[in-house]
Amino acid sequence: MNWTGELWQMLVVCFAAVFTGNILLTTFLGMCPFLAVSRQVKASVGLGFAVVFVMTCTTVLNWLAYRYVLVPLDLEFFRFILFIIIIATFVQFVEMVLERYSPALYQSLGIFLPLITVNCAILGASLFMVIRGYTFLVTLGYGFGSGVGWMLAIVAMAGIRQNMSMERVPKGLQGPGIALIIAGLMALGFIGFTGVL
Amino acid sequence: MMSADPAREMTASAPKGPKKESALGRAAIEGLWNNNPVFRQVLGICSTLAVTNLVLNTAVMCLALTGTTALSCLTVSLLREWTPHRVRMMVQTLIIAFYVILVDIALKAYWPDMSRNLGPYVGLIITNCIIMGRCEAFARSNPPVPSFFDGLFCGLGYSFVLLLVAVPRELLGMGSILGIPMPYFSTGWDKWIIMVMPPGAFFTLACLIWALRAFQARGEEESA
Amino acid sequence: MRDKPWYPVLYMFVMTAFFSSILIGLARFTRDRVELNERSAVERAVLECLAVELPARASSLEVHRVFLDRVSGPVPAYGGAYVLREGGKVAAYAVPLDGKGYWDRIKGFIGIASDKRTVTGISFYEQKETPGLGAEIVQPPFRSQFTGKRIADGRSPIGIMPVGAALGPSKVHAVTGATQTSTRLEKIINDGLLRWRSDLASAGGGQG
Repeated sequence: MNWTGELWQMLVVCFAAVFTGNILLTTFLGMCPFLAVSRQVKASVGLGFAVVFVMTCTTVLNWLAYRYVLVPLDLEFFRFILFIIIIATFVQFVEMVLERYSPALYQSLGIFLPLITVNCAILGASLFMVIRGYTFLVTLGYGFGSGVGWMLAIVAMAGIRQNMSMERVPKGLQGPGIALIIAGLMALGFIGFTGVL
Repeated sequence: MMSADPAREMTASAPKGPKKESALGRAAIEGLWNNNPVFRQVLGICSTLAVTNLVLNTAVMCLALTGTTALSCLTVSLLREWTPHRVRMMVQTLIIAFYVILVDIALKAYWPDMSRNLGPYVGLIITNCIIMGRCEAFARSNPPVPSFFDGLFCGLGYSFVLLLVAVPRELLGMGSILGIPMPYFSTGWDKWIIMVMPPGAFFTLACLIWALRAFQARGEEESA
Repeated sequence: MRDKPWYPVLYMFVMTAFFSSILIGLARFTRDRVELNERSAVERAVLECLAVELPARASSLEVHRVFLDRVSGPVPAYGGAYVLREGGKVAAYAVPLDGKGYWDRIKGFIGIASDKRTVTGISFYEQKETPGLGAEIVQPPFRSQFTGKRIADGRSPIGIMPVGAALGPSKVHAVTGATQTSTRLEKIINDGLLRWRSDLASAGGGQG
């Protein structure tokens, strides 16, 4: 495929990953931190940025590892383990670099990094990338788009929940219950974007 | 998945009695009801919620998850004497991944249609918080047999809630259960398309959590 | 031994080697089967769109045998289509379809008779559309509409129309409620057919 065509496809995939195929609202990945952290906007923004960064880098790294290590060795089924190792190592590495060179950033993002290693959305993005057979550039767009989509969803959710804190909610629905209903309404809204593509 | 928090929560309530029969019964009650991972703690729904628009897919996923949880707990428990403390998380991940890959290979070879339907979700069982939560909280400090049942009941508790999500979704959205058309729903019912779309999963799960928690709260008030 | 600093490293190594070797063994053992399954899904779809009769509940091997017997391809000289031969002559073409559906990729084939006009059938071997809605495209009620249609000249060989609209010889009805899947599928089919036509022309394939 030529360059412009691929760039265009990358943009389309990126847009789709943010809106129409939002990894949180359509495939439900990364729900646990979503429900736990989305009480405050500030924490959500921090976690969101960390996810965007880690997801973009790890999908690209995982693409390289899959394409140039696992496929030639005929060990595709090892991707589950290898991807997890790469994600964990990468997060650890970023943590060390941040601590050393940018204590301020480490203070604000550092606490979220360990949470990310076990965020299923990160692994999920890499697995989707393999199954859909994306090329390198498209993978880059997909990883970035998925991260932004996740961040958008969690920040919007945190904003809504902050405004809800004074409302009266039935007892059984308090906490995760009402959060799921809000997420459902958001998912409904995001489906509206499908007409755009 | 956030293993630290729930793990601690689960340790506090893990059964400690060495008596075998009552321990088994307690594990069942804890896993299926008192500490049900889904509606009590809302954990680990990520990997399965996406396939709950069809009962069959949900059942296969739940079976895979329950088997993986039980066997991983068993293996972690068998190795508990030899596993160095510092690398235990890595060993647990390795063991869980081992069983998940087994399931993945088996589905690919013997049930290719289902493997295509489930796509990446089988692999995502690895990052399901429930499994590592049980390994950390219970299996690594308990003998193999109780660990196995602890994992088994925890997986079954998870499965029963997700099947309760899947049945109304398929019934109201497609008028069938397990692909078999149901009387009235397949003919006279105006299908709720939203139920098979992603928002339907959120709404159904929320309503289910509401109902189960309300039910549970009433029981607690009575016994208090 | 367990107090030694190298013990965790050795332990991890032994564990990894143990579990990996089981998995590698199992993967080797099932590899032929997995490959057969993957090939079989494509072969089934090709035969289905060419309206070749298969025994009920045919196994992967039986499908493979029928496929080898009657179909060859993909043939570049015929625009990259699979070709069904009867008595040495080309009887029909299976044109590959591939594109983005509503949720994920849709892959399949559309069968065109040797006159390069009449549709013999359509089939899909990969799709993740909404169950009960977009996914109905794989069901007989939708697919059987295509059989016997004649593809039109120009930019849109096949048209998918709203349910209830009057149908021309190259038009079929959409799946009720699945507007998104239907519009995308129309594009996938037409892209596939147009690509086939132009490849056929550039391959000098007037001889078919």
